[in-house]
Amino acid sequence: MSSGEVSRVQVVKASMILTARNFFADPQWVIPSIIAPFVFTLVSLFLFSHVNGPILLYAVLGGGMMGMWGTTVYGSGSSIGFDRWNGTLECTLSAPTPLMWIVLGRVIWNTLEGSINALFILAIGFLWFRVGIGIADPGLFAISTIITFLSLSAFGLLLANIVVLSRKGGFLTNGIEIPVYIATGTMFPIGLLPFFVQGFSFALGPTWGIDAIRKAAIAGYTGLPVSIYVDLLVTVLATVVYMALSAYFFTKVEKIAKRNGTLGDY
Amino acid sequence: MPENCVETSLLHREYANKDFFGRVKSTVTALHELDISVKYGELFGIIGPNGAGKTTTIKILSTLLLPTSGTARVLGMDVTRDLYRIRKNIGIVFGGERGLYNRVTGFQNLMYFSDLYGVPPSVSRKKVPELIEMVGLTGRENDKVEKYSRGMKQRLHIARALVHDPPLLFLDEPTIGLDPAGSRDIRQIINDLKKAGKSIILTTHYMFEADELCDRIAVISKGRLVALDMPSGLKKQVKDITLAEVHVYGDATPLIESLKSIENVSRVFSDMTGDRTIVRIQTPDGSDVLEQAKSAASRLNLKIIESSVKEPTLEDAYLRMVEE
Repeated sequence: MSSGEVSRVQVVKASMILTARNFFADPQWVIPSIIAPFVFTLVSLFLFSHVNGPILLYAVLGGGMMGMWGTTVYGSGSSIGFDRWNGTLECTLSAPTPLMWIVLGRVIWNTLEGSINALFILAIGFLWFRVGIGIADPGLFAISTIITFLSLSAFGLLLANIVVLSRKGGFLTNGIEIPVYIATGTMFPIGLLPFFVQGFSFALGPTWGIDAIRKAAIAGYTGLPVSIYVDLLVTVLATVVYMALSAYFFTKVEKIAKRNGTLGDY
Repeated sequence: MPENCVETSLLHREYANKDFFGRVKSTVTALHELDISVKYGELFGIIGPNGAGKTTTIKILSTLLLPTSGTARVLGMDVTRDLYRIRKNIGIVFGGERGLYNRVTGFQNLMYFSDLYGVPPSVSRKKVPELIEMVGLTGRENDKVEKYSRGMKQRLHIARALVHDPPLLFLDEPTIGLDPAGSRDIRQIINDLKKAGKSIILTTHYMFEADELCDRIAVISKGRLVALDMPSGLKKQVKDITLAEVHVYGDATPLIESLKSIENVSRVFSDMTGDRTIVRIQTPDGSDVLEQAKSAASRLNLKIIESSVKEPTLEDAYLRMVEE
């Protein structure tokens, strides 16, 4: 009888590869991943086209972040929803691997793919709209982007829990996409938002990560009244909290779904 | 090593119907205090009508559903506590077309599930082609699963359940919806797996399949165990009935109606095959009733092609058990 532990690295890698294969096999990926963020960026660039300087880079970075975030939320929510619809959720859960590691592989792929979208949008901004390509601090920009990338992955992992619990969770993860665009300040400074929304914004790791990316990219950008290092520290802490909550909720949610008998629903 | 690979005691499962606000409106008992045990190396069948509790039993035993009460031990482990150890040692096949990643190839599906079960890549690279050959998919393994026929998908399901070489297999209606040739292929694979020493729990709606494959069969109806025996033992339970069978050309409705009025006839049922109707009469007096059926057919100007008296089948035993 077999009793050894399953390698988590092997599971995460396999899950990433399968998600990538499924992704490229479905031509619909172009709509949420390329067309939607591209249109958002175009609209904002046209809105700001009469001004020059950092505001355009602000808009382009915002578009890039929307590309990353949109794909993460869409991908995280839909990956488990896809398993439910496909009838593979029970087969996946019957494997001797905590579901969290399987979903993590999917979320990492989705965020990675979102980063490629972000680069695509940045390229459009730089090449088509001639937005200044000068990044104030390339080193910090790279670090901020990677940390924000991890934070988005962890947040996507947390959201995926909801869809494991019930097929109705898909509606929630789809509905959360636009409010989070606004709350994290991807397109508008969160200072413009009502006070009670700002509280929600500060609880989101990506809010701090995006602020760090902009501070590293745009010379003289003020954003949140803290240093870039505080931004990065809060983003890392939020990521750790999301991961811990995900680990806890995945075990809890799987148990509830098994108790309610909802794993096979589609 | 214990004698049994599966043991349940007073295993009970209820489903709650809830309203929009999550309040329980009603509860349905899917499984009522089930007690079964399955021996190592046994091919154990579970039969019963739709909604009898077969799939609920399989899901509880495979750790996908929690029992409301009672206990179940699989390979000596508790299904509510030893999830990952049990999952590492069982394989599950759900019937039907769902449950596979259709947009990727059969080979990629198997490699993916090998990784989820922690099979070292060096092993799965050898094992997966062997499984593909075993289930007869050689040459089609690099096609996307969406291009597969239903029978091919079902064979891939079986290969998927074997990627980690588990000692115990759960097969939940593996031949459902397959054509006769596809069903025969699956039955052959199941037989081969049994010969290879696997313990197998099989649910099915097809009585001849259960009769042909299973060492012992549990009959479940409305969540309750109504019988548990070898196929021959179950058939003995209806030894008091025989089956008179008459084949006639054309519409046999008037004949069926007249046979129902004969004393001691417990049931009459029919099947159309091509231009003939096969009428089966369940009765304790097979020979006598057969003569009366022949006379009735003659009166109704129906030409008899063949007639015989047969021993009861597992289906006869099953129908009586689930209807009682």
